[in-house]
Amino acid sequence: MLLITGFASLYFGKTFIANQQAVIEKAAMLQKKNTLSNIDHFGKDIGLLFYHNKFSLANAPNAWAAFANGQRDINPYLISVTMLGLEGQIYDTDINNPVSLLLGNMDLSFVFIFLFPLVIIAFSYNLLSEQKESGVWSLLRAQTNQSFQVIWQKFLVRVAVIFSVALFLLFVTILYLHLPVDFIFFSITALIMFYLTFWFAVSFFIISLAKSSNFNASALVAVWVLICIVIPASLNLFLTRKYPMPEALQHVINQREGYHEKWDMAKEVTMKPFFEHYPQLKQYPFPQEKTFSWFWYYAMQQMGDDQAVASRRAIENKLAARQRFTNTFAFFFPTIQTQLGINNMAGSDLNAHLDFQQAVRKYHEKIRLHFYPSIFLNKAVDSTDIKDYKLEKYSPQQRPSVWVNLLSISILTVILIGTTAFNFKRQ
Amino acid sequence: MPNRISTIAKQTFKTALNNRATLALTLLLGLSLGLATYVGWQNFKTQNNQRLHYKELVRAQWLAKPDKHPHRMAHYGYLAFREKHELSFFDFGIESFAGVSIFLEAHKQNTVNFSEAGFSNGMLRFGEISVAMVLQLLVPLLIFFLGYNSISAERESGTLKILLCQNVSWKQLLWGKTLGIIGVCLSIFIPLMLLTILLWASLSHWQISADASLRLMVLVFSYAIYFFIVSAVTVLVSAFARSSKSALTTLLACWIFFMVIMPRITQAIGVKIYPSPSKVAFADAIATDIHKQGDSHNPDDPHYAAIKDSLLKTYGVTDVKKLPFNYGGYIMAEGEKITSKIYSNHQKELNKIFEKQNSITKVAGFINPYLSLKHISMAITAADFDTFIDFQNQAEAYRYQLAQKMNKLQIDKISNIAPGEEEKPLAISKANWAEQPDFNYQFGKLSSVITNELLALSALTCWLLATVMLLQYTTRWIKTI
Repeated sequence: MLLITGFASLYFGKTFIANQQAVIEKAAMLQKKNTLSNIDHFGKDIGLLFYHNKFSLANAPNAWAAFANGQRDINPYLISVTMLGLEGQIYDTDINNPVSLLLGNMDLSFVFIFLFPLVIIAFSYNLLSEQKESGVWSLLRAQTNQSFQVIWQKFLVRVAVIFSVALFLLFVTILYLHLPVDFIFFSITALIMFYLTFWFAVSFFIISLAKSSNFNASALVAVWVLICIVIPASLNLFLTRKYPMPEALQHVINQREGYHEKWDMAKEVTMKPFFEHYPQLKQYPFPQEKTFSWFWYYAMQQMGDDQAVASRRAIENKLAARQRFTNTFAFFFPTIQTQLGINNMAGSDLNAHLDFQQAVRKYHEKIRLHFYPSIFLNKAVDSTDIKDYKLEKYSPQQRPSVWVNLLSISILTVILIGTTAFNFKRQ
Repeated sequence: MPNRISTIAKQTFKTALNNRATLALTLLLGLSLGLATYVGWQNFKTQNNQRLHYKELVRAQWLAKPDKHPHRMAHYGYLAFREKHELSFFDFGIESFAGVSIFLEAHKQNTVNFSEAGFSNGMLRFGEISVAMVLQLLVPLLIFFLGYNSISAERESGTLKILLCQNVSWKQLLWGKTLGIIGVCLSIFIPLMLLTILLWASLSHWQISADASLRLMVLVFSYAIYFFIVSAVTVLVSAFARSSKSALTTLLACWIFFMVIMPRITQAIGVKIYPSPSKVAFADAIATDIHKQGDSHNPDDPHYAAIKDSLLKTYGVTDVKKLPFNYGGYIMAEGEKITSKIYSNHQKELNKIFEKQNSITKVAGFINPYLSLKHISMAITAADFDTFIDFQNQAEAYRYQLAQKMNKLQIDKISNIAPGEEEKPLAISKANWAEQPDFNYQFGKLSSVITNELLALSALTCWLLATVMLLQYTTRWIKTI
């Protein structure tokens, strides 16, 4: 059953990422086509051209994103922006079906984190109690004083089976997704192995309490429900309560006001801070007497962003606080810890998206500073190199690591094993 | 004869609560439900107050804008916020996964941004503790633990034979056990619903509408039916299973498959069969259709030549500058009409695709009562997909109306003679801004909810009938020993 769901989830995971890649390819083609079409329609007025023309940056999925879709279905992986105010564009969502988002993705990390523990429970819950209930246990104890070893060996067999299935699935993953055997692969494999060991430790612990089969099954399923569903969900509830995000709505308002109010103010109010931000642009003659000029217009757009910097920082701080909260509690709950670790490695978590947004900001500035001179001097569109611009791909700079995740899971496992050994000694 | 059923029911009820483990579980569940209700209610207040605060701010800022050209106001646009229904504290539905604010401006349609999910780092995907989640997901687990050995334990300890010899019929036994288990559920469910009603009333500031009351009634009813179905299934499995242990394993396996695995699979299948376009493809399709019609910002655009000629003829002038109204505004109004229509058509098709994607999960409700109840619950608490689409439609209608109002103001009140490059821009008085009403979202009525969820409702009813029939008529196949 594990293999079936494993293969199914691999298939869905790969399809999901293949879709994203196909979209990125298409977007690259569309950018070229749209740029030419825009030049065709608006080529006479360079300011107007850049009002309409979009530049795209793509967060190409890491090969492992098919394994753990993470937040890639919620956060846009392709951001297309014009040269206008960035903060009003960068938060635009993709086209999603919220019901699909609610029900979640069918990917391999789901199988490993949610389903494997259930199989482990199913295999091991009646290891000892079955012997007891069928009367074999008393026979066994009478025959040998190494009864503990017998149980231990039975246990090891099950461990071996589960681990080989897991490794087999990982092996198939490498082949199916064409993944290189590198640091990321070893990190993820280690995480999964530690996680499965944790669950074996939990099962073994419950068995060592020497209760009936029914009790074991119920207790183990209750533990599963608790740490796979109830506790993460409750923690999330407290998180949203403790750290709501009104900053986001305030940010949109700030950016909008910061830009629009400038229309009714003297041009000085816009140009002074604009030139303070970019002193190198002072060299271009500013048409003060004209009621409207593209120079003034683009400066106003930038003012919208500049005035929203504080609220943007506020959003970032809030998100960082949330992350700290999650990380603290993840230390105690291997389910959350493993999912966070895997998402981190696969580059499909929120932090990866935030880094992507920063990259978009940098790219936006680069484009603006490159094309500002042509716009301010009102040059002809053909004198710029806009036709050479194509879709850019973003690649993350940092190498994530999962040492903390591995550490916390192993500590918990060791504690459990210790208690189990103690329980068995008592018997 | 009904006496026997109630006796058995009462006895089942008492034994269940006497068992320490199940009592602990029941209390724990009750407590977590209370907690979920309270925190959900608080969350609702915070979130909704936030949105209302910004709604007022946006309105105040709109009215405070000084005299200017109405087209500037059209580009300034409006910010609309998606409000929550009072009942949504009960079932979050897609709330956290759908955006909260949308920027409405002329010429351009934007997305609804800032969903809670966009701020989450993955913990949200484990699930959300809402009252609905506990009732839909965890109470069945409780029922399974309560009832897995209701018949099989009697069989294994030999008391079953004694009962049947004492002229207790199988039907009475099955019904009695089922009702006893439901009794335990109701002992949590009823106080909870009373608490819910209290909190809901306080959220609506004690102004209870008939629509919301009806919604609440249908909600309570649906959940009660669901509990009956689950209890009946438990007792039946216990009756037909070979041993208590196999009954338990079967029930747990069912729980895992139907409630954890199946929803994801059916939705993944739906998405695969009916793929939706990406944003770039969607925008490109719209842009292609629009470019066929021309650019309204440019009054000399050839596509609008026909309109221009007919206007010149009607007013008997030779130049558009001599028309008695603002020609640029007129053309923009035409352009807005055309582009909005194109966009709405594409949006409708997109929503149809999403509905088809969701249909697989909906149809699966016929084999999985959990999915049916989920849909009904979300729909009644206005936290479902249809409500979200409704919000998008209302927002788009408002956007269109705002753009056309500004265009009308331009046509009527702005001079047709454009000012020179260095002259002051034309403007109208700020008193005009108040003529544009605020965006007020209206929730749908219960009748539309029922029509939308007919499939889920009929699935749940089918399950109800099926379980009743099974309880009544399958007794001959149950082993006594």
